[in-house]
Amino acid sequence: MNFLIDLILKLGTVDRRWIFLIIGTVVMIPLFFPLGLPIRATATTQQVYDTIDALPHGSKVLVSCEYGPSTKPEIHPMTLAVMRHLFKNNHKVYVTCLWPDGQFLAEEALDQVGGEEYGLKYGEDYVLLGFRPGNEAVVKGIVSNLRKLYTIDSRGTKVTEIPMMDGIHRFEDFDFLFSASAGYPGTIEWVQYAVDPTDVPMSTGTTSIQVNEVMPYVAAGQVNGILAGMPGAAEYEALIGVPGIGTSGMDAQSVAHLVIVLFIVLGNIGYFIERHRSKKY
Amino acid sequence: MLWKRQIPILIVAVIGSLTLFGWFVDEPNIKSFVDDDATQWYDILASFAIFLGGFNLLKLQLQKVLRKQYGWQYSLFAIGGFFFAIIAGFFYKGNPDVAWGTHVTAKGTLFKWMFTYMFAPMQATMFALLAFFVASASYRAFRIRNFEATLLLVSGIIIMIGRVPLGSNISSWFILYLLVLISGIAVNAIFKNKQYTLGIVVGGIALVTLAGNSMGWPLDQPGLFYLPYLQEWIYFFPNVAGARSIMIGIGLGIFATSIRYILGIEKSYIGE
Repeated sequence: MNFLIDLILKLGTVDRRWIFLIIGTVVMIPLFFPLGLPIRATATTQQVYDTIDALPHGSKVLVSCEYGPSTKPEIHPMTLAVMRHLFKNNHKVYVTCLWPDGQFLAEEALDQVGGEEYGLKYGEDYVLLGFRPGNEAVVKGIVSNLRKLYTIDSRGTKVTEIPMMDGIHRFEDFDFLFSASAGYPGTIEWVQYAVDPTDVPMSTGTTSIQVNEVMPYVAAGQVNGILAGMPGAAEYEALIGVPGIGTSGMDAQSVAHLVIVLFIVLGNIGYFIERHRSKKY
Repeated sequence: MLWKRQIPILIVAVIGSLTLFGWFVDEPNIKSFVDDDATQWYDILASFAIFLGGFNLLKLQLQKVLRKQYGWQYSLFAIGGFFFAIIAGFFYKGNPDVAWGTHVTAKGTLFKWMFTYMFAPMQATMFALLAFFVASASYRAFRIRNFEATLLLVSGIIIMIGRVPLGSNISSWFILYLLVLISGIAVNAIFKNKQYTLGIVVGGIALVTLAGNSMGWPLDQPGLFYLPYLQEWIYFFPNVAGARSIMIGIGLGIFATSIRYILGIEKSYIGE
């Protein structure tokens, strides 16, 4: 017993590089040898799916990409999954970006899903309007007069020459908004400046850490569901029946979370033993 | 003094009042100014800020190199990256078939190459390091020191496990057995009586086993002990309550600060 106690105490002072090594290893192993854990959709993910699925075919959907390479593993899979769902239901997809690096990732997603997987035509089925600086001012601009803000798309084509832009002048001309957001400006700005004044329905996908601050809007019904981080993306992939990057990352994330919890438990056992000993002596 | 003090304060007061009252006054010209013109002015001003930021970055990094301050070698990379991005953005496209402007995201251009092979991996690497630091920090600092810390720790563990597929596969009966064992530890720590402890553990295990047998061991029942349901409840109720109160506080703070700006009480933007 004393050996075990000493071992736990010793572990408490272990060099942090060992912890880094363990985390690195447990994340890598499931990536190479997937566990294939079944994925169960949470209520908020199901709500996003149901809302998008209930849109009448041919709806005009605005997708806003507010994320960069740092949050790509969490947000990009959900962007791809939502786009797959939208294109499958023959919706018209318009993409804007409130983050400059979001434009690169939005283009990547549109090329992959719209172009390669569904063979759709740019300008007729989907369009990338691109990034504009100004944060919430851009959202306000889209709400009042989109054409003042976007005279050309990301490819330099005049908006007036893009067929699917016919009838699109302001935010209210869209039937639905999906915000793929990793922070400011993002989901909250869309709710405050666009969705609340116009009543256009919206759903969102955010990083896990952002869920806390967006959840009040979901609970109040201002946002129709939320895809929470990589698990949210994996759940959406399961719902549309197309496993992607989100699903493949779930095993690694599951194991990593479990190991971190074990570290916390072990650390606390060590803490209690130390406290008990210090009281004793 | 007039240009440095009174005029800026007047501009802030007038524009601030117009923007604020534009929401409440049904006057098309004011509405048009607030919704269209003012936001475009903001866009133009925001675009100019990039020059300020760029020159400031260059000045600081150059100073570091010239004065050979600690870590000046890293500044060389910062300066190199700065000029590389300017060249890729303004002077050399790398793909003559692509028009200026669209070359930023078009395939085969230098700027796109820079984003894909330099910027994206570096940013992803920085963010990925977070997982390692979180693991290390939680191991060392996440301690049950008091009631609040215990609540935070238990909620954190439920969210961490309940959010991922692993949590969905942990039966609520396993959690119940775990709770029985934890209760045994707690009883032992309080009463220091082996018979009490044995009674609680054996009685608890028997009770859970009987209940499980009678219900047919469903994975997600009783729902109170199923981690995915528990984490959803934490997100929807305690979390939303806390987040709302913080948001209301922030909102009131923003409102008070805005009024101070409009009335000219707050003058930090002119250095006072």
